[in-house]
Amino acid sequence: MSEVSRYRFGVMLVLCSGLTQSLAAAPLDEALKPLPPVPALDPAKVELGRRLFNEPRLSVNNTLSCASCHQLETGGADNKPFSLGFDGKPVQVNTPSVFNASLNFKQFWNGRVDTLQAQIEQVVISPMEMGSDWNTVVQNLTALPLYQRAFSQAYPDGVTAANVQNALATYERTLLTPNSRFDQYLLGNTEILTLQEKYGYQRFKDYGCIACHQGINIGGNMFQKFGVMGDYFKARGNPVEADLGRYLVTQEEDDRHVFKVPSLRNVAVTAPYFHDASAKTLEEAVDVMFKYQLGRNPNQEDKDLIVQFLKTLTGEWAGKPL
Amino acid sequence: MTTQSRRRFTQFVLGLVTVLLASTLVFLYLKAARDQTASYTQSRDLIRQLQQLNAQWDSEVLKARIAITHNYDPLVTPLTEMTRIWAELNRRDTYHNPSDLSGWQATQAAYQIAVQEKARLVDQFKSHNAVLRNSLAFLPTAEDDIQAQFNRLDDEGRLQLQGVATDTYDLLLSSLEFAQVTSDDRAADILVGLGKLATNKEQLPSEFQGPVDLLSNHIALILREQPVVNNLLERIAEVPVAERLDDLTTHLDQDQQAADRIDHQYHRYLLIFSTLLVAMLLYLAVRLLRSFAEINRVNRELQAANETLEQRVERRTQQLKDAQSELLDSARQAGMAEIATNVLHNVGNVLNSVNISADLVTRKLRSSKALGLGKAMQLINEHKADLGTFLTDDEKGKLLPGYLNQLVDAIASEQQAMTDELAQLSKSVDHIKDIVSTQQSYAGASTLLEPVHISALMEDALRMNAGALSRHHVTVVKEYAQIPEILADKHRLLLIMVNLISNAKYAMSKLSDRPRQITLKVQAREDNILQISVKDDGEGIPAENMTRIFTHGFTTRKEGHGFGLHSCALAAVEMNGQLSAHSDGPGLGAVFTLTIPMTPAGSPA
Repeated sequence: MSEVSRYRFGVMLVLCSGLTQSLAAAPLDEALKPLPPVPALDPAKVELGRRLFNEPRLSVNNTLSCASCHQLETGGADNKPFSLGFDGKPVQVNTPSVFNASLNFKQFWNGRVDTLQAQIEQVVISPMEMGSDWNTVVQNLTALPLYQRAFSQAYPDGVTAANVQNALATYERTLLTPNSRFDQYLLGNTEILTLQEKYGYQRFKDYGCIACHQGINIGGNMFQKFGVMGDYFKARGNPVEADLGRYLVTQEEDDRHVFKVPSLRNVAVTAPYFHDASAKTLEEAVDVMFKYQLGRNPNQEDKDLIVQFLKTLTGEWAGKPL
Repeated sequence: MTTQSRRRFTQFVLGLVTVLLASTLVFLYLKAARDQTASYTQSRDLIRQLQQLNAQWDSEVLKARIAITHNYDPLVTPLTEMTRIWAELNRRDTYHNPSDLSGWQATQAAYQIAVQEKARLVDQFKSHNAVLRNSLAFLPTAEDDIQAQFNRLDDEGRLQLQGVATDTYDLLLSSLEFAQVTSDDRAADILVGLGKLATNKEQLPSEFQGPVDLLSNHIALILREQPVVNNLLERIAEVPVAERLDDLTTHLDQDQQAADRIDHQYHRYLLIFSTLLVAMLLYLAVRLLRSFAEINRVNRELQAANETLEQRVERRTQQLKDAQSELLDSARQAGMAEIATNVLHNVGNVLNSVNISADLVTRKLRSSKALGLGKAMQLINEHKADLGTFLTDDEKGKLLPGYLNQLVDAIASEQQAMTDELAQLSKSVDHIKDIVSTQQSYAGASTLLEPVHISALMEDALRMNAGALSRHHVTVVKEYAQIPEILADKHRLLLIMVNLISNAKYAMSKLSDRPRQITLKVQAREDNILQISVKDDGEGIPAENMTRIFTHGFTTRKEGHGFGLHSCALAAVEMNGQLSAHSDGPGLGAVFTLTIPMTPAGSPA
């Protein structure tokens, strides 16, 4: 006990002396957690995954690759409300960002699969998205000596559906966006945020946004009903099947309109928002959240502060801010 | 043969027994050494980790329940970890009791069902708890907002609405209490309070509407969500994940005990087997020691025997040496004897001719017409005085010149015959000389090749036997083909021919019922072989003698020494030729055929 207090005293001394802020920087203990470092993975698999990520042969008519919708330059998604499938028709839900997807506890808006591999498996064969089938994909890839070589280097059993999925998932595990200003703040560099942004964070916590958007991915670790404090879908009108959310997976009444809480990382660059892409701007999205999720009536200033805070969650990719 | 196969069989059986024992030992060792304690420990360790994670999960749920933290990651990570550990556990080949495999799998399935159920409930708990905590946290603020509105009123208004304020406050309190102790009574209280608030709202000024709505919304939510959350917590607590894990541990324990029992059993077997092996080794060692003693004893005996044997061998060797030198001596003597026999035989043959020639000359001399010359000279001497008259007038005298003339002729022919016979004699003597000189260069291999007219040689051979042939009234039929002069060992050939003719003559000596005839045939075979055959009509050769006639010492004659044909055969071989005999049977005559390679004279030998 005394040792701890002595330690604290020491820290205080250092802080007070104001020698260096960075030296004294101790991680903050918040409900929001800093982004973990990129895991150490087999470089061969990562490189193979990167190639596959940009490989249009995964789709039935060689038009779509993963990167067609998950554009790394634009926040890991596209800026369309609904991405276009292989047949040029829009898909049913807004494309979530591939960035930090490995930190989500489940994949897809309705969280119907647990792993990235399963997510990849479904997207390739989805008749709305890539419309292919795995036999064809494996055949097409096997036909290319380039892939044959790369696969045999990375996997003992060469080109298989499981290996394609594993390579892609391995690559996606590297798609983290570190070094956001808020992460730096969480790591102890409290000076990096402006006072306004810090107020914004305070409002974020006070209003209870943090009840769902928390953890390392600032969301992405629970399900929540869209419309806790009011019927969002009635107000929006024009209900579609995708609005049923998790109900489509479990067929349980409790899961009607329940979705995976999305991550707020890079939220400023991943408009439009929500599964139905109904919010075009952050402000609109914040309004909807207050109304239907929190049941609160904040003033404009608080909402602005929160939006300012949300903009500090934008990380970097390939050394450049998104 | 049988000893060898028996030994091989014994070796095979021994090898088999060795392999059998060794494999039994290895089998038992493997069985006993397959210690699965480690793998059980590891599996149980994994299950213990699962239990810890499960407990951690439970505690995180409770923490979230009392809103210590807003971070829900700790409610996700235990499941992730548990999934990972479960996969690891399944990768392990722990379970090996096939009789209870279905039980094990059922327990595993039960665990998975429990975990899935718990995960589902926890997910629901997260959702409901999050909104519940938000509303509960907001209640005081909402109340404050309403109170602030009250405070903004003047005293009169405040007095008027005192009841409403109190009711609102009560509602807040009972809601907070409800959050602590959820009961149907309190739920009913809150419902009543909410109803009152709705009624009161009508009396309140418009600026109250917003805050009151918010409050009642959130209280309604608490009323709705609190039982849900409580229910979820109860159900989460009821999910028997820990029990299923205990079941798994129990299963593993039982299985390990069974495995341990089997292990012990095999250990015991191994021990018994080892004891047996040791006993066997001891027995074998004793046997071996005994064998050693036996071997040593036999060895010593052998050594002793060996020593005496060596002495005996030495003695015997000495004896053998002596015997050998004796043998050598006798062999040398025998060899000399054989040479002598050979020489004597051949010389004897030729001497026959010499004898005959000498006899002939002697007889010629004895009955010489030269005696008549003496008588004539006596007549001349008697009439020395009137020799002319005597020769012309005397009866006897007139005949004298004629007589003398005849005498001259007779003497001349006599002389001629004697000269011929003497030439034959000297030829025979030369032959003897040659025989002797040939035998002196004993090896016999020295072959002197010289041009030979075969017909002349045949004539020589006949002549050498001429006396005997004419004595025995033997007719000689000659069938000589035209043979050019060839290179041959004249003396060997002559020797053979003389022998063969002599034999033929003897073979017919007992013949009285038909003329005695020898047929000599000389012909050149196509393969450049000269073939000379001597055929007689004599007594023939019985089949049983056919194989022996060329062997040394075989003879059918009383005075024979069985050397002639033997030496002839040898001579034929020395000339690279061959001597063969043929007879149709006793009394049917015989043919001896000599074949030698024919090398025409003048060609390089």
